[in-house]
Amino acid sequence: MAFVEQHIHDAPTSFWSKYVVSYDHKVIAKQFLWYALFWGLVGGLMSILIRWTLAYPGVPVPLIGNMLFPASGGVVPPDTYAMLFTLHGTIMIFFFITPLLIGCFGNYCIPLMIGARDMIFPTLNMLSFWFAMASGLVLFASLCIPLGGAAGGWTSYPTLSTNIGQPGAGQTMWLISLFLFGISSTMGAVNYITTVITLRAPGMGYFKMPLTIWGLWLTAILNAIFVPVLGAGLLLLTFDRVFGTTFFLAGAAATSGRGDPILFQHVFWIFGHPEVYILILPAWGIVSDLLSFFARKPAFGYKMTALSLSAITVLSTVVYGHHMYTTQMSPLLTQSFMTLTMLISIPSAIFFANWLGTIWKGSIQFHSPMLFSLGVVFVFGLGGLTGLYLASTSIDLYLHDTYFVVGHFHYTMAASVLLGGFAGVYFWMPKMFGRMMNETLAKWHFWLTMIGINGIFMGMMIVGYGGMHRRLYNPFIYEFLHKLIPINNFISYSAFFAAAAQILFIYNLFKTVFAKNYPAAGKNPWGVGTLEWEIDSPAPHYNFKDIPVVKCGPHEFGNPNLTTGRDYQYQTEELVKV
Amino acid sequence: MITKGPADELNHFKNSVAMTVTLISFGMMFSSLFLGYFLVRFNAPAWPPVEIENLPKLLPFLSTVVMGLSSWTFVLLERRTEKKALWSATFGLGVLFLVLQFLLWNSLAASGILASNGNVPSMVYAFTWLHAGHIVLALALVLWLGYLIFFRPTGLTDVKLINVGKFWHFLGVIWFLMYLMLFVL
Amino acid sequence: MDFSFYERLTGMIAAGSELVLKAEEQMSFWERVKPPVDISSSGHLIEWLFNYTTYVNLFWFALVCIGLFGFSFLYSAKRHKKAFYTHGNEKNHLLITAAIGLGVFLSVDLVITRVSSHDMKEVFWNFPENDPEVIKVQVLAQQWAWNFRHAGKDGEFNTADDVVELNRLVVPVNKKVMIQMTSKDVIHAFYLVNARIKADAIPGRFAKIWFDTNRVGDYEIACAEMCGPHHYLMKARLQVLDADNYQRWLNETHERALATNDTESMDLRWGWKWESR
Repeated sequence: MAFVEQHIHDAPTSFWSKYVVSYDHKVIAKQFLWYALFWGLVGGLMSILIRWTLAYPGVPVPLIGNMLFPASGGVVPPDTYAMLFTLHGTIMIFFFITPLLIGCFGNYCIPLMIGARDMIFPTLNMLSFWFAMASGLVLFASLCIPLGGAAGGWTSYPTLSTNIGQPGAGQTMWLISLFLFGISSTMGAVNYITTVITLRAPGMGYFKMPLTIWGLWLTAILNAIFVPVLGAGLLLLTFDRVFGTTFFLAGAAATSGRGDPILFQHVFWIFGHPEVYILILPAWGIVSDLLSFFARKPAFGYKMTALSLSAITVLSTVVYGHHMYTTQMSPLLTQSFMTLTMLISIPSAIFFANWLGTIWKGSIQFHSPMLFSLGVVFVFGLGGLTGLYLASTSIDLYLHDTYFVVGHFHYTMAASVLLGGFAGVYFWMPKMFGRMMNETLAKWHFWLTMIGINGIFMGMMIVGYGGMHRRLYNPFIYEFLHKLIPINNFISYSAFFAAAAQILFIYNLFKTVFAKNYPAAGKNPWGVGTLEWEIDSPAPHYNFKDIPVVKCGPHEFGNPNLTTGRDYQYQTEELVKV
Repeated sequence: MITKGPADELNHFKNSVAMTVTLISFGMMFSSLFLGYFLVRFNAPAWPPVEIENLPKLLPFLSTVVMGLSSWTFVLLERRTEKKALWSATFGLGVLFLVLQFLLWNSLAASGILASNGNVPSMVYAFTWLHAGHIVLALALVLWLGYLIFFRPTGLTDVKLINVGKFWHFLGVIWFLMYLMLFVL
Repeated sequence: MDFSFYERLTGMIAAGSELVLKAEEQMSFWERVKPPVDISSSGHLIEWLFNYTTYVNLFWFALVCIGLFGFSFLYSAKRHKKAFYTHGNEKNHLLITAAIGLGVFLSVDLVITRVSSHDMKEVFWNFPENDPEVIKVQVLAQQWAWNFRHAGKDGEFNTADDVVELNRLVVPVNKKVMIQMTSKDVIHAFYLVNARIKADAIPGRFAKIWFDTNRVGDYEIACAEMCGPHHYLMKARLQVLDADNYQRWLNETHERALATNDTESMDLRWGWKWESR
């Protein structure tokens, strides 16, 4: 299947070509990793400010309050609050999770796990990172201008996001920033799809790819198809703001012509619902692999898992209407969207069963990546099942736009993806940097994070069930929410707790990467048979000296007839017959 | 890092995969615009609405002809050996198309159709703006082909010609659809 | 930002914290998380479906937890040295997986979809358009307030005798209320938590909702869709009166409207002719 001859180029020597404008997928992956961590910290800090405001409305933020909001004496003002939750959403989705799972693991794992020397278009890969960088800079700049950044919610529904709701340049910069990010994502997606199709090592059929690759590949397909849809929406909204078109203007905003704000919601959610799966599919893939690796047992129903991931990918494209029940679409549309949404639970149930089947009768090693993977099973179980309430049109009448929704989507696309991301970082750290992260700290990190995030998101679902709606600067001007004050405080404490737990991770990561005289990890510290563990750690420039020839699947563990003394087989070894 | 010479046949495959994916991406962007168009059109009480009653007819027709001709010359450019003349024709027609678009926008404004007149005029403008933006991008690629044809003929491979060609024809098809939707039907 | 705003805010919070202290007294966790009191005839449908989904979800999640924690306990490397070698693609494996998929589909999806569709069709989308008794109200949402319009004596909207109120909706108890709603500027959402009702108010479109009430009292109407920095202040009061009081209120306000409504003022002319579809 080696369609394309892959040359070995000399390793770059200067700092500039090695670390800055690198063509090497591994360096680009690390660039994305740091990029994601930076934005993750910014987005995390924003969430802390949001939670502070909800726990102590009107109380100045300690330490940094006076520096950030001098005009109000350190209290978060309402307009800043709107900006905070808008940018928290934007940053966490587009500038943290996407670069971490797709930018970092996509770049790092795809060539290594399919046995290629690099991405098929290295230049495109580099451009993809620098477009993301440009997009990040524009977003960061928008925080520093008068009137501040975008404050219309991450969904930026018109007409709030048109000039009447957002007079500042911040919203326009937000649109431009996301458009640039869309270009970056599309470039990455074209690269990933083509790489997986053309550069798989000889013998590596689609059903011999690790499930991580399946997840990343399906994500790339969704990205290539749906990010341009967002692009179109963003461009039209930009035209409305800058060139005076009237696509989404109505009511007071429409001084001359008239448009329809709901059009934007359609375009946004046609992209927005697949986007949820764009974020979660790589995490599912990683978890499916890691469960098998650390249960020392082949992935249960590998083909079924791969196919159900694909089925979800297809279904995810036709369910977007469930975000728009309250806009009162036609009953026929509403019901079709509800039915289609419900169908997603079938493939989900199947791969959940397969996950549990994988650890059934395994010999489970509770290393940190495994703990995080098991954590994903737990939190995604909660997140997935709570989706059933929201898919139902009548329950949605009550729960739409409440904290129940916030809790639900944080469970699915924040908690699961974050835990999956951590699992990936702990797992591939030896291959990326040639060093193992400290296991004790990692385990502490896991348990504290688990307690924290479940406190936050379970609390959110509870207050949502109590009727508390979203995006309120001070919810407690409503009398029916007064009794929820203690629970809100509890959520905030959990958030501070979870945030504090991340210090362990950051310390561990920086120590592992930058400490001097750190013990080197071997070639294959976890005892796993996929292709990347047959080469040196950290992976050498151009990965494989000889392109490997794949002979068996990625999850060959515990074969009773193995004679090598190992309990696993490398993918380059002929499958031992039982 | 595109390799040349004997590996060219193999390169063809990866590039055609990549180009197909790219065109699907671009296609999705334009389809979202078209989706918006159909939503607006089917919800409109009357068609064409008063805002665009006196749309210019001649200029868009000329643009369509020019676009069609340039696609034809591009097909010839891919097949025939007299590359220089055919390239010049394609590039010239591409530039002419852009000029015609500018004239179109001027005549729209002159006949009182402004982007701020409502969502249908907005659509006429935004569609043509976006398409013209892509034409500029495509012309840059064609210019790069021109550089290869005139100055570095050894660097010119079929893969490059075919892929730029795909993009060019794709924009031609998009223009034809836009022309049908906005100016004819 | 003017300082007075923060002073007001601090005042509000002081008042709030007193309430908290009161509320915190003697309230169990379960009481605390209960949704606000349901005053509609249809809210129990939502509650039933919510509870049904919860029970089924608990069942499935319990299964996941049994698998997750049980297998983690039984098959940890310490306890279970040698993993069982299977790819999980034998016939009975596939059957079990398929059965779980089917089980989820039958127990959750099918029931929820059917019940939800039925409830929507029979109740929530079943607008009392032709009911002569129905109270018709027009709502205009704006940044950051609710305008309510009753037709007045003549039963026609947008006439001089309309009763127009800001941030207060008065309805009689035990009557169906039908609302037509639009927005002046950005998208808002009418959220009447006590009647389990929510719908977006979208500029350039009419939304319609209906609800009824079965007990007298004061309730809160909120905006549920982000509509700008002061979204949280967009609160209105729903006053449910008994039939006599409602009639008295209607007569009084009607008289007052006729006497004081400035027919020239454009501010009061935001109404529209009742759309009957």
